Amino acid sequence: MMVGASLIDRVAIVTGAGQGVGEGIARRLAEEGARVVVAARRAETGEPVAASIRDEGGEAVCIETDVAEAASVRRCVAETVERFGRLDVVVHNAFTGGVPHRLEAARIDKHWSAMSRTSVWASLFCARESYPHLVESSRRPAGDGGGRLILITSPSGVEGSANIPLYSPAKAGQRAIAKSLAREWGPDGITVNCIAPVAASPSLLTAFERNPALQQALEARTPLGRVGDITRDIGSVALFLAGDDSSYVTGQTIVCDGGSFLGL
Amino acid sequence: MTVEVVGRGELAESLRGRVSSDVDATVIVVAGRARAVRVNEITDDEIDEQWERPMQDLIGCLQGAHARGARRIVVVVPTTGMSGGAEYSAAAALAEAARVLVKSAARQWGATGVTVNAVAVDPQAFGIDPTRSGPVSIAPRALEGAVDPTATVQWLCSAAAEHVTGQTVVCDGGLWM
Repeated sequence: MMVGASLIDRVAIVTGAGQGVGEGIARRLAEEGARVVVAARRAETGEPVAASIRDEGGEAVCIETDVAEAASVRRCVAETVERFGRLDVVVHNAFTGGVPHRLEAARIDKHWSAMSRTSVWASLFCARESYPHLVESSRRPAGDGGGRLILITSPSGVEGSANIPLYSPAKAGQRAIAKSLAREWGPDGITVNCIAPVAASPSLLTAFERNPALQQALEARTPLGRVGDITRDIGSVALFLAGDDSSYVTGQTIVCDGGSFLGL
Repeated sequence: MTVEVVGRGELAESLRGRVSSDVDATVIVVAGRARAVRVNEITDDEIDEQWERPMQDLIGCLQGAHARGARRIVVVVPTTGMSGGAEYSAAAALAEAARVLVKSAARQWGATGVTVNAVAVDPQAFGIDPTRSGPVSIAPRALEGAVDPTATVQWLCSAAAEHVTGQTVVCDGGLWM
């Protein structure tokens, strides 16, 4: 259902949009008129989300994308521009990994490589491949464009994690990339920001089912007393960063977790 | 008690042999040859060189320090992870990831009395060119004169710092605040 038109004609790629936070962001951007590419590793998850957006009156396609592979990201960007003629917003959300482990026993192949590839490597791939199109977007008249790169990180990327120690640095690296690219791309008019969400993603809901005490503990430590909604809560922050209202905001991390983490 | 200094480059060499402690300690100077490159021109080999391999080395160094029974671990990084640096995206990612990995390690190993901290220094010590990266801060450096992080590293390696863990002490003469 169209809610507004603040992103009308804009084209956005959202990686990892086959479920969870990425799906919520894709839906929220589409509600505001963006033409959305649901970039998912498997069409089995991405296509139903794209179809659902279309059924609700939005415009969306699924492009199978493995963000860990540069060639796949390159193809996704090229297909997007070929299909829609422009690219204004890239939201890199896809992530793989995060198995609890002890740092002293961690293995690169088992506990690190997938996280590194889908966080820092993939952020750089998305930036590298989308740059000329984001520049072009920023050269459009005010109100008709503005290149945006949004990286989805985590509060753990600031405060570290005892449970998943190597997850935190993978997410921290993305924050530094956002700051660096904010400096590098500022003269081009492109903004680069991060969102650090805590939301009811499928993986978190599964964890709640297995351990109801985890949900109680998380809600108890959250001032707003609930876990975020992927569309209304997280998607709306992404909408702000994707749109014209945030044109003077760059290099920042917006923590969207109900006030649980207050360390920035 | 021994202090092991791990890492290459002038900064590691300057610390080697000059840091002593009353407890076993390991000092890790994060490696990686920082080279200015715009992200639209960065190659996969450069990402590997500036991000992946030094991160894997750091994980291995932390594991090695833990295995040898170090009670104090100090990781030295440039402030670029906190400030960001134009044309240094991968190097900045490495610096910030290292700084946050320190926090994870501090949380996991704290129960056994092991402390893990970071010392952040002027990026030029890591070969980062401020004319390319942009200014570290909106203000000039507060203190004048040469900055030597040795004493800060030594204090974090000492028994006196037993209740300090997961922290980043910036030792750059008051440039990054």
